[in-house]
Amino acid sequence: MTDPRVTGAARYAEDFELPGMLHARIARSPYPHARVLRVEAPPGCIALTPDDVRDLGRYGCQIQDSTVLAVDRVRFVGDPVAAVAAETEREAEEAVVLVDADYEELPAVLDAVEAAQPGAPLVHSEHEVSGGRAAYFALRPQPGTNVCHRFSIRHGDLDSGFAEADVVVEETFRTAAAHHAHMEPHACVARWQGDALEVWTGTQTPFNLREDLARVFSLPEEQIRVVCPPMGGSFGAKTFLRSEAIAAALARKAGRPVKLVLPRSEEWVTLNRHAATIELRLGARADGRLVAKEVSCYADTGAYADCGPGVAQKMGFAAPGPYRIPNVRVDSYCVYTNLPPNGAFRGYGQMQTAWASERAMDLLAEQLGLDPLELRLRNVLRDGDRYCTGETMHDVHFAECLEAAAEAIGWHHDRRGKGLSVILKGMQTPSRAAVAIEAEDDGAYVLRCATTEMGQGARGALTLLAAELLDVEPARIRFPDPDTAVVPYDTRTTSSRSTYMMGRALEVAAVDLKGSGGRRGYGEIVDEGGLDPDTGQGVASTHWHQGAAAAEVRLDGETGKLDVVRLHASIYAGRVVDRPAAELQTEGSMIMGLGTALYEEVVYRDGQVANPNLSDYPIPSFADLPERLTCDLIEREGAEIHGLGETALPPVPPAIGNALASLGVSPTDLPMTPESVVST
Amino acid sequence: MKLALRVNGEALEVEARADESVLDVLRRELGLLSVRETCGIGVCGACTVLVDGAPMSGCLLLAPLAMGKELTTVEGLGDDHPVQRAFAEARGFQCGYCTPGMVLTAASLLAEQPRPSEKEVRIAMAGNLCRCGSYVKIIDAVLGAADQKEDAWTS
Repeated sequence: MTDPRVTGAARYAEDFELPGMLHARIARSPYPHARVLRVEAPPGCIALTPDDVRDLGRYGCQIQDSTVLAVDRVRFVGDPVAAVAAETEREAEEAVVLVDADYEELPAVLDAVEAAQPGAPLVHSEHEVSGGRAAYFALRPQPGTNVCHRFSIRHGDLDSGFAEADVVVEETFRTAAAHHAHMEPHACVARWQGDALEVWTGTQTPFNLREDLARVFSLPEEQIRVVCPPMGGSFGAKTFLRSEAIAAALARKAGRPVKLVLPRSEEWVTLNRHAATIELRLGARADGRLVAKEVSCYADTGAYADCGPGVAQKMGFAAPGPYRIPNVRVDSYCVYTNLPPNGAFRGYGQMQTAWASERAMDLLAEQLGLDPLELRLRNVLRDGDRYCTGETMHDVHFAECLEAAAEAIGWHHDRRGKGLSVILKGMQTPSRAAVAIEAEDDGAYVLRCATTEMGQGARGALTLLAAELLDVEPARIRFPDPDTAVVPYDTRTTSSRSTYMMGRALEVAAVDLKGSGGRRGYGEIVDEGGLDPDTGQGVASTHWHQGAAAAEVRLDGETGKLDVVRLHASIYAGRVVDRPAAELQTEGSMIMGLGTALYEEVVYRDGQVANPNLSDYPIPSFADLPERLTCDLIEREGAEIHGLGETALPPVPPAIGNALASLGVSPTDLPMTPESVVST
Repeated sequence: MKLALRVNGEALEVEARADESVLDVLRRELGLLSVRETCGIGVCGACTVLVDGAPMSGCLLLAPLAMGKELTTVEGLGDDHPVQRAFAEARGFQCGYCTPGMVLTAASLLAEQPRPSEKEVRIAMAGNLCRCGSYVKIIDAVLGAADQKEDAWTS
């Protein structure tokens, strides 16, 4: 059978329909920060206004700071204040513009560094930590400030480390807010059957979503069913509760199912990537040995925290980079501003600090008069080294990745216009995965698990693994859309964890199936760990993603236009399950990294997104591809599977930035637009 | 109003307003769900439809203006067209949302230019965006389709 993606037969969350359903639209705040004085829906229209949601529960995966609609206060341009439902999308569009509201503007704060200072206008007066399962680490909100989480690493003695340094690099780096631009919009359908709620939605986080919906509607989780059709891309955008609660509240009020598909422009006020400011100080001896590193990260999480605390934490523990550094001090702040919420985005905080960390390595190499490759090789973590979190590193391949990347662009022949970088990236820890395998009467097996498909190929990889374990053809493996009513609990489909975690759960389930009559098997894997938020000590990741990138660029000095001629990534894959899919994920990460490096930026004017469309927010096309884009996946005999859905994104911007720096233009901020290049 | 359209080789009459796009009419009236809206402003190519064999953005083309023209969606290629096969063999997709538009643009290119160079493929396909970034393998798919069936389906 031909793949449904090439015949047009593929169906996504957007295509799901129920008889009698209504279509919804959201009315949004025009102000970044204001008191809501009055909201009135057009007469004769099924509508949700703040009074309808006042008594519903608050939600938020890590900080419970959200309500179904803004009640009393709006906190960003685009904050939902009302929603309408109508027979057709067009009628809903016509009705939503008739929502009438009055506001009283309040002072807004639009920059994370300013927002973190004492006396800044407060976006939220309190920070209530979520008791949910997505708050998987100890949160450290700072009362009376806009900081909803602070993560710190204390390792060694920073002052004596810097006292030993012969050379110190000090610089502030910035990365812009970016948008996922998943091609299928957020889409969901909600239906009530008595007191039970069913939601069909494109989400990477079915169980976290169910938990938040249960909190909103004060229902036991078992009374809510979340079904996840494949997504037309997500990259982190379709995580946690997005607009599903609005659809559900409207459906309950209407007594009919409600479908909500976001118009394209509203995607830019639904979830973006954290802009970050990173202040960095790095010290080394004259021979290149790193002795001390101090990093402060400010992650702009926007008006609602979402998983921003987790992003800031990962930003923090990636900031030291894959190096042996005896003295490290990191403080990473997740900061509220009056901008649209920022959350999970492929690379999850690691892109931001890899940019700063890897640019700083090249600045240091320049001061020391060392080859940037040599400087890295003298310092990279090797098997058995301890990271600054105290954990021992195993199956370490940073040097191998770097050398392979350098070789691919002919680093040793000529370094002009060329740049390198190397990164480490953590996997969500602690982490849990479970799967049930059921035998069918026709000799096929059904996989019941919560791993969702967004194009990353988890369904294909898990099907191949199951076929291998059960010794049947892949066509004998069925993998229905995840449905929380029938699949066991899984942390979520994020963090490049599914093939690794669910793959191991499958191995356990296959053994269980064979040992219990061959009809049903169950497997569960729990990886323990986590970090102390005040010292950064513990287990950051039970398995580290490792990768290096190499770029060769051409610069038009007059216009500042930067062309990437050659781009290569070398990724440690452990064991590859589905090679074409693994290459697609790596190439896709590199191309997304290219967009981040060269032009992607959500532009805000007075708190309003100024470029909420694909003509003003360009994403890479065929025309932007480097002349050559290649990757290699490094395997090791007997190694376990390593996730690789994101690894190749974070090293790409610094590899390009370092290549540009070799031509005499030393960038500190992303993206490296022609305007910024000519003014650097 | 009633519109007489030719879609995937069939003469059809559909109900539509004069200000509706081909994209909306194909999806709602004919259930041709492979035609998809991402940007809505003619930038991304997810709504690509062949109009008399040439790729166009269905979101920008008013349905009444399509009367008298032959419209082709990926459903109209069947499920074993050489370009579809080449995409499947080269694994030229990830989420698949943009794939119908990619397949149609590639089919149109190869009908006009059966042996394109890699550069010509990049230029011809540049109006179709893939956020998953499957471009390298899409280029392989288009060049592979050109290799496989140089003249069997150019008519």
